[in-house]
Amino acid sequence: MLIPLTKDRRLLVFLGIFLAVLLLPFVVHDAFFIRLFTEAAMWIGLSLAFDVLAGYTGYLNFGHSAFFGIGAYTTGLLMMKSNWPFYLALPVSALTATLAALIIGFPTLRLRGAYFSIATWALARAILQGIMMIPYAGGNEGIQLKAYLNPLFFFYVMSGLVGVTFFVLWFLLERAPFGLKLKAIREDQESAKALGLNPTKLKMQAFIMSAIPTALIGGIFAYWVTFIDPASTVGDLISDQALVMVVFGGMGTLIGPVIGAIIIFAFKTLFWAYLSAYEVLYLIILGAVIAISVVFLPDGVLGAAFRKGTGRHAKGSIHVTTPSPEKEA
Amino acid sequence: MAEPILSVQKVSKHFGGLTALNDVSFEMKAGEILGLIGPNGAGKTTLFNVISGYYAPSVGRVFFKGRNITGAPPYALAGRGIGRTFQVVKPFAGLTVLENIVIASFLRHPRRAHAEAQAWKVLEFTGLADRAHVPAASLTLAGRKRLEISKAMALEPTFLLLDEVVAGLNPTEADRTIELIRNVRDQGITILIVEHIMRVIMGISDRLVVLDFGMKIAEGTPAEVAANPQVIKAYLGEEHV
Repeated sequence: MLIPLTKDRRLLVFLGIFLAVLLLPFVVHDAFFIRLFTEAAMWIGLSLAFDVLAGYTGYLNFGHSAFFGIGAYTTGLLMMKSNWPFYLALPVSALTATLAALIIGFPTLRLRGAYFSIATWALARAILQGIMMIPYAGGNEGIQLKAYLNPLFFFYVMSGLVGVTFFVLWFLLERAPFGLKLKAIREDQESAKALGLNPTKLKMQAFIMSAIPTALIGGIFAYWVTFIDPASTVGDLISDQALVMVVFGGMGTLIGPVIGAIIIFAFKTLFWAYLSAYEVLYLIILGAVIAISVVFLPDGVLGAAFRKGTGRHAKGSIHVTTPSPEKEA
Repeated sequence: MAEPILSVQKVSKHFGGLTALNDVSFEMKAGEILGLIGPNGAGKTTLFNVISGYYAPSVGRVFFKGRNITGAPPYALAGRGIGRTFQVVKPFAGLTVLENIVIASFLRHPRRAHAEAQAWKVLEFTGLADRAHVPAASLTLAGRKRLEISKAMALEPTFLLLDEVVAGLNPTEADRTIELIRNVRDQGITILIVEHIMRVIMGISDRLVVLDFGMKIAEGTPAEVAANPQVIKAYLGEEHV
């Protein structure tokens, strides 16, 4: 049931949390922690963007990192090669990502289930290899940006962008009709058509909506870490981590990815702080956590915490769209 | 005769070497219930898919309210006033019954609050209001078939295609659904219905069209069709004629 916006308490809670996050630097002054918060915000943003497609629309985008990389390289190259200021270069990342989403989405969004995941993964690999071959983009060596050593600046830009992303997505997906329409596509595309929905158009809109914040985060990332190369921006790790965070937190919600990102990122940070000698264990543990949460917590930790029986896994089935041949009786 | 609401003209549909529909033509006038019958594999569902935009016919044309709709996509036809149900029910299983119907209501009511208000009216009409907040996956078969009708009705159609909405229900449920179909017709909605159960289709239809091996073999009132030797042959075999 839709609660009138002015009476929707959730909005107040979200605004309160967002405000509290923005006030964090007044409590914690240590640059190390500010950097951790910035990275946490980055992962929250990437997970939210990933979930627009994965949870709401039912498309697992294993090429999510392509948009991150495109954003990082657009901002990075404009700043380094053309001397653009950051605030002008960053919005261009949104434009190049939109263009890339249109080009990538057109052939891939007609695929279903695993085929979509394989195709997007392969395209991201192709983009990675492509950047390596372009000398202008620094090739394998990557590019070095001029350092701007102001942790607070990056904290505010990153968490500001992620906060805005959250509220925009919340309005579009949880309050406007758009979110329900995407879920209809996720549940049954053929039947959605009969109800007046144009799946191609809706999926493309979702794809772009997922690409834009991802690219903007990539652009901020480039300026923040001052060095980007194909592996660290377009590599699989970005997509994999976002997937893990979303699945662990709870797909098809906006709170789930936030919780998942915080827990997984905290685990990662603690692990590297105390157990970095056992490097190999990290991926093993991460993999085991995912396998276990997929089997036992199909709705993620969020779903486990609020099991009401109305969840999308009420019948106990895992609801990632699997490729099914079109059956017509 | 007034202009037909639906006019199917010489429609054929081939799948590779298979001819699922062969030169089928018929017309419907506004407000009537036309029953479409035929043995399994006669092409009834294929014809539904052609009319509702899921298949483009290989040959022939379909007119709706005087406009050529041949090859128009289903979502555009929904906007023009054509609603349909699916023989193999297709609920949005992970969403609640109400959400399922709200999605359909968006077609005429783009604002969410309006769409919800409209969805409640449909739920009252189809008798699913007490199930509004349960996941569609937890409905019984009878409930799911009713949900199919509800979703189609939420489109506020002028023309409804019902594909076996009674089959598989027990007699009590079947009677309730027949009652519902009559109420739908009383709202002025034209209905094309496929049904296997003869008791249902004979009782509810104003006219019948009979398909066999993709061809129209008979058309007329239920009494005329029941007496037609070709129909008897198609259903019961040569020796019963």
